[in-house]
Amino acid sequence: MSAVETAPEHASSPVRPRLLPARLRAALPRTRLLTALTAATLFALWWLAAHYAWVNPLFLPSPRTVWDAFVRTATVGYQGSLLHEHLIASLYRVLAGYSLACLVGIPLGIVMGLSRDVKAVFDPVIEFYRPLPPLALYTLIVMWLGIGDASKIAILFLAALPPLTISSMQAAASVDPRYVKAAKSLGANSRQLFRHVFLPACLPGICTGMRISLGFTYTVLVAAEIVAATAGLGWMIWDASKFLLGDIVIMGLFVLAFTGMALDFLIRLTERALTPWRFR
Amino acid sequence: MNTLRRTASLLLAAAFSLGLSAGARAQQKPEGITIGYLNLVNAQLVTKALGLHEKSGVPIKWVKFGSGGDMNRAVAANQVDFGGVGNPPFTLGATRALPYKGIFVLNMLGPVESLAVRSDKNIKSLKDLAGKTAAAPFGSTTHYLFIAALKEAGVNPTDVKLIDLSPSDAVAAWLRKDIDAAWIWEPNLDKIVKNGGEIFLTSGEMAKRGYPTWDVGVVMNDFAAKYPAQVVAYVKAECEGIDYWLKHPKETVDIIAKELSLPPDDAARMMQGTTIVPCPEQLTKDYLGTPGQIGQFADTALATATFLKDQGRLPTVLDRAGYAAFIDPSYLAKALGK
Repeated sequence: MSAVETAPEHASSPVRPRLLPARLRAALPRTRLLTALTAATLFALWWLAAHYAWVNPLFLPSPRTVWDAFVRTATVGYQGSLLHEHLIASLYRVLAGYSLACLVGIPLGIVMGLSRDVKAVFDPVIEFYRPLPPLALYTLIVMWLGIGDASKIAILFLAALPPLTISSMQAAASVDPRYVKAAKSLGANSRQLFRHVFLPACLPGICTGMRISLGFTYTVLVAAEIVAATAGLGWMIWDASKFLLGDIVIMGLFVLAFTGMALDFLIRLTERALTPWRFR
Repeated sequence: MNTLRRTASLLLAAAFSLGLSAGARAQQKPEGITIGYLNLVNAQLVTKALGLHEKSGVPIKWVKFGSGGDMNRAVAANQVDFGGVGNPPFTLGATRALPYKGIFVLNMLGPVESLAVRSDKNIKSLKDLAGKTAAAPFGSTTHYLFIAALKEAGVNPTDVKLIDLSPSDAVAAWLRKDIDAAWIWEPNLDKIVKNGGEIFLTSGEMAKRGYPTWDVGVVMNDFAAKYPAQVVAYVKAECEGIDYWLKHPKETVDIIAKELSLPPDDAARMMQGTTIVPCPEQLTKDYLGTPGQIGQFADTALATATFLKDQGRLPTVLDRAGYAAFIDPSYLAKALGK
């Protein structure tokens, strides 16, 4: 797994060499080699462990079995839905919850960062529920919102919100007052102040919050799909684990990991587009 | 922390056993026993409440499980020494070679598990469920019976929107009117009946139609190999609990009521809904059978496996002998002095 997780760091490396001195550039292939080595070692260990049955194959099916499960789920399906249908069901829930959280959390965070009064109003609510385990919260949400997608999106929304709000709040609060003063003395009105001073200064912090938040939302996905889902990657993993189908579970985890990485990559692309000065 | 202690004690036991003969090892008592029990009405609650296992002097840890599926996962992770599972999880476990054996009958399922439907929805036959949303805990006895009943009534199971809900979640969904039918077990079943539901079909009726369902007590193979005498003692204590249930129904009502935090009337009704099989009878062909000739439980397991395979939830099905190998009545026979 760690091989998979380290990969995104390097996904963006092709753009970096330009700003690196020659010495560092020469070192880059080596880091990439090391990453490849980690992945290869882990894979070899997995293959060996499965081949020589070091572990019960129920817990660790062979790479081949997992691949077969992937092909089977992609072509025949698991419990009535093909793999991409599970994926779409999950992505819809994650993105709906996450986008809602961005729409609410980022403006709220900025306002909280700029006004102590607003912070005093909303901070206790977020700080109260933030440490609660999503599953504990979920039982209550199911009672309120029912077993449909509404409750699933709600729990994902709640998971996504705190990192967004907190990072936006900190980004807004730490805008250098000298920038503000300088802009004001040059005659900027409040709209210009926001557009040309606050927003650019906050964006890096907000983007970081968005990445952390998306990762966190993704980790709640399985919990969100435990109750009464009939499709979705999280549900597929949960259902398969009930029936001791280890190959489906591991295959599902891989799909989750890769789509999670892809989403993270998309956010970083957005980040580059929104704050180009940080990458120049 | 449990796993850590378990690993440590296993290592200790392994190191210790190197210096001991096999005979002396069999005499050893375990340092502690973890018993996983199901959150339903049967005589094991009596055994637990009366402290019958604790009499052996070994510290007992009781862990409650909501369903046999959860229990299977705990078994797979080696977190219990004894457990209890319904026939679907048992069949799944046997087919996937989980290291356990069924050693005694916990209970035969009757009306304690029932399909309840919303009274005002005018559901007269299973056909009327088409297009409606219904719930059952997937992988449990009721999930198995639900599909079997639909098929028997000529209803295509995909016509009913059957969703996976644990009994407690099913109650929440019922109260919100998200579902119109649920096949679950007590004590949650009653909450549905009291809130606009009526019993439509019971697991007991399905047993009469040739679909018996049961919960069986299991022991982990490693534990049984290391402490065979302790397993016999365990079954003996369970038989005492079963005898108590059969001979003292009034006191049992109070015990069940207390264990499950229910009014005594509810406990009494639930006891009616489940059949506890006297230990000597468990060794007949309708149940476990005898060590040489495994009884009907092996047939149920085979039928359940075929169902799970059709559902795409089991890759293979063993033959009858394969399932019979997962049922071991010898401890019960020894406990009864046979």
